Amino acid sequence: MEPIIQGLSLLIDPYSIGLILLGVVIGVLVGALPGLSSPMAIALLIPFTISMEPVPAIAMMAALYCAGTFGGSITAILINAPGAPPAAATALDGYPMAKRGEPGRALGLATVSSVIGGLFSLVIFIFAAPLLAKLALEFRPPEYFALAVFALSMLASISGKSSLRNLISGAVGVMIGTIGVHLTTGIERFTFGIPEMVEGIHFVPVLIGLFALAEMLSQSQSLDKTFERIRATAMRLPTIKELLDLKYTILRSSGLGTFIGILPAEGSTVAAIMGYNEAKRWSKKKEEFGTGTPEGIVGPEAANNAAAGGAMVPTLALGIPGSGSTALILAALIMHGFRPGPYLVRETPEFIYAIFGAMLVANLAFLVFGLIGAKFFSLITFVPTRLLWPAVFTFSMIGAYASGGSMFDVWVMLASGLLGFFMLRHGFGPAPLVMGLILGKLVEETFSQAMIIHDNNFFAFFESPIVLGFFALTILSLSTPLWGLVRKKLSAKKKA
Amino acid sequence: MSDSPQNTGGVDGARQATAARLIHPVDTVIAGILLALCAWLWYETTQFEEVSFLLADNLPPATFPRIIIATIVVFTVFMPFEHLLLARVGKNIDKDRTEPVKRITWSTMGLLIAIMAASELLGTVLTLVSVCLLIPYLWGERRLHVIIPFAILFPILVTLVFNVFLGVYFPPGPLGLNFQ
Repeated sequence: MEPIIQGLSLLIDPYSIGLILLGVVIGVLVGALPGLSSPMAIALLIPFTISMEPVPAIAMMAALYCAGTFGGSITAILINAPGAPPAAATALDGYPMAKRGEPGRALGLATVSSVIGGLFSLVIFIFAAPLLAKLALEFRPPEYFALAVFALSMLASISGKSSLRNLISGAVGVMIGTIGVHLTTGIERFTFGIPEMVEGIHFVPVLIGLFALAEMLSQSQSLDKTFERIRATAMRLPTIKELLDLKYTILRSSGLGTFIGILPAEGSTVAAIMGYNEAKRWSKKKEEFGTGTPEGIVGPEAANNAAAGGAMVPTLALGIPGSGSTALILAALIMHGFRPGPYLVRETPEFIYAIFGAMLVANLAFLVFGLIGAKFFSLITFVPTRLLWPAVFTFSMIGAYASGGSMFDVWVMLASGLLGFFMLRHGFGPAPLVMGLILGKLVEETFSQAMIIHDNNFFAFFESPIVLGFFALTILSLSTPLWGLVRKKLSAKKKA
Repeated sequence: MSDSPQNTGGVDGARQATAARLIHPVDTVIAGILLALCAWLWYETTQFEEVSFLLADNLPPATFPRIIIATIVVFTVFMPFEHLLLARVGKNIDKDRTEPVKRITWSTMGLLIAIMAASELLGTVLTLVSVCLLIPYLWGERRLHVIIPFAILFPILVTLVFNVFLGVYFPPGPLGLNFQ
């Protein structure tokens, strides 16, 4: 009980609460704007938080993360352009409902189900994180190595165009992580005589380039795109009866979303799609999906917000990010001198509870902000693209420079942005590369330690049942792309 | 030039279409670039310095990068054929690349590189002013009463926040402004 009180007391000061609320506002705005995303906003926020105390800094990012997932639903409902990928499924029924004259109802359903999903996952988070961390204390370097490899293999099943490209992206990220001095021998690797590369490539410029600049270049391809906007009315909260009718859909999606969030590398987008599909599968009115049914809104919304809370569990308890956004929060934790994982949970449990508190406040805050500010948030889409993106680039340049105080970092940001643009175009996602970059160091470190423990005998890895278990899961996860094919063949056979 | 596989044939009709169906031409080029990069990086690993015998018990510095390079090679080899698998599950890998990269995107890239190259001379504030002035103009914004205040006020405000409140020093450059 003491750590909980200590953790929450870390937040109870006007400065921290103010930052959390600011994080919520930024998150909703960023989430609402098509093209801007919460990973991008977190990447741009990291340089701002360098001089802050760790608790308010991470709390602000966690709040932004929760609110950004919700913010995407505003534009998904009002202009049929999801502000963020996790809200894509919400548009399927949210927009038709808004179009038939009920935008306030659609926004209300999305907000309330998001809050319920978020709160549900936080309850799981608060119980699961310490338990998982306790379990992980038994892990030695070989088990950690196997876990990190499993997390990387999960890139095969995350959303995106292609599993193979996700895996290549992840491996390239790991490779970038090897640049610089080798920790155990002090030998320089891939530095090409450039002094700034000796200490490795900094996370922040790469993250900013991949998420902000690459998106800016993609947006330059569609400058003339216009949206049909539905005039936002005040948000209308669902009635108790309506909520009771939807309770099973909301609870099912919340549970599903939390579970998907906890899985390494899976994120809110996968959760939302599965939440929508499950809502449809269990519905008695399947034919109404796509025409503006409430179940089609609450299903994905509860799931994507629940996944946000769920994704924090492996991030904090194991140091394995649960999604692209949590990979960035993990990078921020490392920058603030923390080593996320079981030791963080054991040594500073109050920190975990402080983040829990921040996410709790954020979930309740966006209910209030949604109620009083939905109209205002929908106006953000009127900001001209031609000014918005140069402003984003200004933040990107300053942020990349401020992270290390070097122009070299700005060049790294620019190069990452150009690379990211072509990667996106050819189906390679930026999130897997970031996950690889962040997990790469852990993979190499634990691999080296494990090899020393086992006297450089790789086969000794297979003596541990936990390692074997993770390797089996890795094989399963790598074969995920083939499952779809097998399922399709089986269903075709059945039909025949 | 479009990089869609459907648009690559034309001369040899059926034969080329079959090849296009079996091997994706654009992905083959990307795979080739990746493999060439891997070969170069593998060569680089052979150039790492010798490890002192005192540290010889540790994993050699080249081992881990080589494992990753080999992993990338294994995945990359399948890339030219991946579209066959994706097509079977109803995914179109070419959806976002059927249209060529627009001239405005190339111009934006060129402008950003040029501004960055001039940043040492311009200093931070003038570099950012240039970005906020030239990119909206390049992207078709012609309302000078909007661009000019935006290009002057926004970068100064952002730089001030970082400089004054967060204590970040920005190089002023020979032509630049300094808040210090």
